Amino acid sequence: MANRVAIVGIGQTHHKSKRPDVSQPEMGNEAVRAALADADMPMRDVEAVVSTNMETFEGVFLPDHWMASQTGAYMKPGFKVNTGGTTGASGVEEAFNLVAAGLFDVVLVLGFEKQDQGDTTAAITTCATPVWGGGFATGAIGEFAKQALTYMENSGAKEEHAAMVRLKADRGACRNPHAHLRLGLNTVEEVLKSGYLVWPIRLLDFCPQSCGACALVLASEQAVKKITKKPVWIADMVTVHQLPFRAGIFGDLTGKDHYSQEIAAEKLYKRNGITNVIRDIDMAEIYEPSNWEEMNLYEHLRFCEKNEGWKMVEKNMTTIEGEFPVNPSGGVIATNPIGATPVIRIAEAALQVRGDAGEHQVTRDVKTALATALGGSNWSVLTLLKRSL
Amino acid sequence: MTQETSQKPEYIFVNYSVPRIHRWSTGRYMGKVYKEARDNKRLVTNRCPKCGELMWHPEPMCGRCKVDAGDDWVEMSDTGTVLQYTYLVVPMWDPHRGERWANPHPLATILLDNGCYIYHFLEERDSEKLASVKRVKAVWKEDGERGNGINDILYFRAIEE
Repeated sequence: MANRVAIVGIGQTHHKSKRPDVSQPEMGNEAVRAALADADMPMRDVEAVVSTNMETFEGVFLPDHWMASQTGAYMKPGFKVNTGGTTGASGVEEAFNLVAAGLFDVVLVLGFEKQDQGDTTAAITTCATPVWGGGFATGAIGEFAKQALTYMENSGAKEEHAAMVRLKADRGACRNPHAHLRLGLNTVEEVLKSGYLVWPIRLLDFCPQSCGACALVLASEQAVKKITKKPVWIADMVTVHQLPFRAGIFGDLTGKDHYSQEIAAEKLYKRNGITNVIRDIDMAEIYEPSNWEEMNLYEHLRFCEKNEGWKMVEKNMTTIEGEFPVNPSGGVIATNPIGATPVIRIAEAALQVRGDAGEHQVTRDVKTALATALGGSNWSVLTLLKRSL
Repeated sequence: MTQETSQKPEYIFVNYSVPRIHRWSTGRYMGKVYKEARDNKRLVTNRCPKCGELMWHPEPMCGRCKVDAGDDWVEMSDTGTVLQYTYLVVPMWDPHRGERWANPHPLATILLDNGCYIYHFLEERDSEKLASVKRVKAVWKEDGERGNGINDILYFRAIEE
């Protein structure tokens, strides 16, 4: 029987496009201090540290080595995880596994990305093997352009629906003091005026490049009692990977392909007795690189029936005040320090479970929350959080 | 040590630029793709003995069936149908080579006539006309210019049928 594991400390930096005032280790340390302060715990009580970051974005492949003093890893077990876009959630899963296995009682996870120190899209050159051919993708934006086209064709969604998702995200971000893009958008027309990057993805349809860090302290049931009265329990985590070359990575017009998030969701829901997602789960923080993908994910994660994600948006079901709030923090299209982004999803969902999300706390009482991560060639990590087990 | 009195902080940066030279092995499976494209202007791949699907790209194991994919090599068609396309509106980086692309860089997912999907470029560069490009055929680079695997195909050209 595995040990129960809870989140007992949550900390994040303010996320911005540039942080010239701090070095990468200093920025990571800001989140570490915030998480330890939240747990009311000295750094020496952390038994192991898991770092998550897309190292080639900043160009140094062992960033955790240079920040051991800032994370608390000095003379302690330190681990580094990179699984692409899902990196931060994979780091949380590693920490979760370490505590669940009984190897440690207190583990800190730090996700960080300082994207002002390199060129992210150019750095993604180091993601693909050159042997498989050159130039046949336009980075992440091109893949999500194809997903948007597939979604439009299959579901009948219009550009206006994608714009409504951005408006919802921005309203959340404007209430979240940590969010990067807080644009104060008021109308669908404002979103539709933004120019195309890769047709049909507009500038305001896509996530930004952010600098920021987010840390969590995970503890065993035994340690939790000494640390906090408001633990957020990690009920379950599921990871599923996919193959790199298919007809469509995030949206497949052939209808033949499987999506990792569908497979992961099926496993997670089955293992946890979830039969009606928007009844059994109270809110979700999902990893949506674009507003089009958010609507797609509603369907893959079974928040609604196939081709009906845009209808949830039209009915305002996923707003902060809605029946099933999604991304009250503003989500990834407001804030995207990549190595930290999935940690932020879990952190924000945990704040909602604790009732500590402040201005962007959702109306619905959150006893159970879902956090997702998406990356690579449609890789997925899902996390189910609960107030009590 | 004296305390700084300046109101405006001074940020000091270190510029860092290191070109890295790489030499990747194509290997047993992709090596065959490179050789056939270079020598015979042919696309080849292997077929999984269990599910019968053509693999693209060719690999020693089928990821879905988790079995040895073997050496049942098949010539792929170089004609196909455009399933989906997109194009750049602002210049982007080539994620494989770190070079800037010119616009509109039309890219397509193409269903080859024997059932494989590949990503490749379209010859048509007028974004208004791209929607009418349906049936396409590969245009290969000239003899002596090939040696880059799937990139030995310049682009796919619209054909009338």
